[in-house]
Amino acid sequence: MMPRGMLRKIWRTDWFMHSTVLVLMVMGVLFIYSAGYQSEDMPVSSFYKRQMLWAIVGIAGYITMAWMDYRKLAQAAWWIYAAGLFLLVLVFVVGREAHGATRWLSFFGMQVQPSELAKLAVILLVARYLSVPGRNTKEPRCTIKVLIMGAIPFFLVARQPDLGTAAVLAPMVAGMLFVGGTPPKHLVVLATLGVLMLPVAWFGLGDYQRERIRVFMDPGRDPLGAGWNKMQSEIAVGSGGLRGKGYLKGTQNILGFLPRTVAPTDFIYSVIAEETGFAGAALTLALYAALLATGLRAALVARDKTGRLIAVGVTCMVFFHVFINVAMTIGLVPITGLPLPLMSYGGSFMVSMMLALGLVQSIYLRRERR
Amino acid sequence: MARSSIEKEAMRVYVLMGLMLSAFAFLALMLWRIQVAQGHQYERDELRQSLRRVRLPGTRGLILDRQGHTLADNRPSYSVAIYLEEIRQPGPWTKTLDHVETILDQLAIELGRPRTITRQDIQNHRIRRLPLPLIAWRDLDDTHLARWAERASAIPGVDIFTETVRVYPHGPAAGHVLGYVGRADPIPDEAEPYHYYLPEMEGKAGLERRLDARLKGEPGGRLVRVDVIGYRHGDVAVRKPTRGQDVQLTLDIELQEAASRIMGDTPGAVVVLDVRNGDVLALVSAPGFDPNHFIPSISVERWRGLLDDKRNPLLNRAAAGAFAPGSIFKPVVAVAALENNAATPDQVFNCPGSFTLGSARPMHCWARHGHGPLNMRESLQHSCNVYYFRLALMSGYDAIYHTAEAMGLGHKTGIILDHEVGGIVPNDAWKRRVYQDAWRDGDTCNVSIGQGPITVTPLQMAVVAAALGNGGRVFTPRIIQAIRDRETGEMIPEPAAPVRDLDWSPRTIATVQGGMRDAVMAPNGTARLAQVPGIEVAGKTGTAEFGRKEEDLKHAWMIAFAPMDNPRYAVALLTDEGVSGGQTAAPKVGQLLRYLFDREQPYAEAGS
Repeated sequence: MMPRGMLRKIWRTDWFMHSTVLVLMVMGVLFIYSAGYQSEDMPVSSFYKRQMLWAIVGIAGYITMAWMDYRKLAQAAWWIYAAGLFLLVLVFVVGREAHGATRWLSFFGMQVQPSELAKLAVILLVARYLSVPGRNTKEPRCTIKVLIMGAIPFFLVARQPDLGTAAVLAPMVAGMLFVGGTPPKHLVVLATLGVLMLPVAWFGLGDYQRERIRVFMDPGRDPLGAGWNKMQSEIAVGSGGLRGKGYLKGTQNILGFLPRTVAPTDFIYSVIAEETGFAGAALTLALYAALLATGLRAALVARDKTGRLIAVGVTCMVFFHVFINVAMTIGLVPITGLPLPLMSYGGSFMVSMMLALGLVQSIYLRRERR
Repeated sequence: MARSSIEKEAMRVYVLMGLMLSAFAFLALMLWRIQVAQGHQYERDELRQSLRRVRLPGTRGLILDRQGHTLADNRPSYSVAIYLEEIRQPGPWTKTLDHVETILDQLAIELGRPRTITRQDIQNHRIRRLPLPLIAWRDLDDTHLARWAERASAIPGVDIFTETVRVYPHGPAAGHVLGYVGRADPIPDEAEPYHYYLPEMEGKAGLERRLDARLKGEPGGRLVRVDVIGYRHGDVAVRKPTRGQDVQLTLDIELQEAASRIMGDTPGAVVVLDVRNGDVLALVSAPGFDPNHFIPSISVERWRGLLDDKRNPLLNRAAAGAFAPGSIFKPVVAVAALENNAATPDQVFNCPGSFTLGSARPMHCWARHGHGPLNMRESLQHSCNVYYFRLALMSGYDAIYHTAEAMGLGHKTGIILDHEVGGIVPNDAWKRRVYQDAWRDGDTCNVSIGQGPITVTPLQMAVVAAALGNGGRVFTPRIIQAIRDRETGEMIPEPAAPVRDLDWSPRTIATVQGGMRDAVMAPNGTARLAQVPGIEVAGKTGTAEFGRKEEDLKHAWMIAFAPMDNPRYAVALLTDEGVSGGQTAAPKVGQLLRYLFDREQPYAEAGS
């Protein structure tokens, strides 16, 4: 028998968030199945089965994080941050290379991306730092310290090179600073500086990163390689129309015009848009909007500033992923390789997303009683 | 204060929410525009979605000889290709496979050539390389091309696919130097469309491999819009292929061919250098192999044949094989003695036919009855072993070791050829390492006549011959003369190879060159069979036994340079299965030199 206190706690969790997460995960598995589907007589690629496994692992992580008191985690923020940096450095020493970038660590045969952990570590540390009683968040000095906390992992991740994941850190930290009390004027100055730095950053980019941006500016530049994905993705989305072609009927995907290696990962949204049309694509966006709303609601009802800022950080992270991924699918931004939360195929990302959302749940659960 | 701060934070959370929702609204708007407002445009695109990716091959650079003759060339090869994506049938893939088989059978009849690929091949291609054309027939000849154009070109989804194929017009003559190309290994990355820009072939051996980065071109591609009946509507986009760099060698292919004719199929090697600058004019290893047999890939039987051949045709004996030099090492010992002032040219030793070192058993001179008293120049002419035993002991082994090393023995020359070896010049440290034994006078005597553990490559001996001819300049042999610049298209000469000047005294040069001249020019010289009418030739022969005694296997050697007064050519020749250097190697060197000077004469007369 469960004790009554525990039952009450479970009742107090955010059921709206649970259901949104679950619906998105189920949709993810369904469309990964579709991306691996060619015809009734061909075996479907087994990605969807593994994704189900990852979803279950993710749910376990979600429940564990919700169970833990986020304040204890925040107290250990410096340690978690240090561990995160250690792993990021370790990647350079013993990391596994794939597609010209070193992003993976092997743990007992499991492949882990430390950059995913680093994002959580930054959220925890910045939230804790900004919420120390008596901290004057209006001071530029405080803002600069927070920026350094974000900049160290940023450069380590960008060096891997994984510019997409590194870029997530920026809106995350910016959102937390904003809610934490940094004067908007400072943020505007920072944003301006950031834009002015872009030409400098161009020279810091690796060849393949520059090439992707060039291909974005001019898809005809590499029409048979990287430009091909972009064109095919746009055609796939466009040909979906209002209602789509129907589940398992997306021809772009079935005929392999959309490369089978990227369809279930970075381009899963293009499969959805083709097969369910504007109706399904917009509904998916609405689901993500709902998820963001639950995240910010947790921020509003949090019992302390630490909790509020953690919830804001996680929400900004989810937002940035969704926004960039969808924008990439419809050709608004260069191909960055940022996956779609809860839907794209991939274990590390699924688990870290679910841990982050579990953290938000933990904040909601321990909300201020009114 | 706390109250108002919380309210302010809450306000900012709402602002954030507003920002995020408007961003999503913007995305939704863009989606609406693409999917609904302009949706018909994309839908039409997709219906006509027969964008065909056509690969444009990147031409590989040519390899030329010093006169500009082409040694490695490209020829176009036309294949019939099927574009599976374009003839995809609705429903299960088996339907498409059936359809492809129907097309193949139809084409087989029209072309009059049997089918070469099976259903399994089509299936594999579909799974692994769908965006690439499926090659149904390779390398059509003119008749088949004409038939294709006449009867089969209207079949949808089928087209001619052009590739380039490497050819070596001179066949086996320079096989070891040129090497060959083979199909490039696919990169492990699975991103299918990227296979498109992979080079179709890459160097697998020889200069083709060593210079692959220079020679290889980068393929490009063209995106062509094709409608359902195969009509081309024009290019959507083009990426231009780039051409590889041409490489000009110092080799003279006519000389190379003459040299390989002279060598025949007997295991051996010959290297001809320009005495004045170290250019490699010919480098032949016998028996050779025809690199054309490796294009596009070598048949299993041929490959087995090459591997099982006891004469080892794949080994480049000129640079990748090291052998005991025998008496061609004697000039090095003479130089060592003279340059270290251990002996003068007038040094006389008596040869009674054998030499006894301490209480060991006597070592014989090849002339059983002895040469009698000889000075240094005569010792080279007669190649007297006893003279060199005594000269070596008098000079001390250190002098010989350092002179041999300075002339490049015991080290790779650094030429760009496969698997070059450095040979062995032994010394005390070497012997202790390998045999756990100290260096003894007997070892010195052995090495002084080029026997024992010492080994050299024919290429190294050609460098030594050139140094003896030019008075002590040791060249790094150069085989690449010029490389075509990618931008300007001009041939840029390769920088001259490094040179080591040993500054021999005129006395040394006169004595050693004189002895080598007499060896060829004197009526009783050991190398007299290398004589060339009207030309003064200097040389030295050598014979080294190898293998077990009862097999009676010999390396017959000769080094030479000519003409005597102003040498232009240095030769090192090695041939197995010979009687001796003088009997077997010298006539071949003579033939080679005669070829060289016969060919030169018309120019000389025209010039005068």
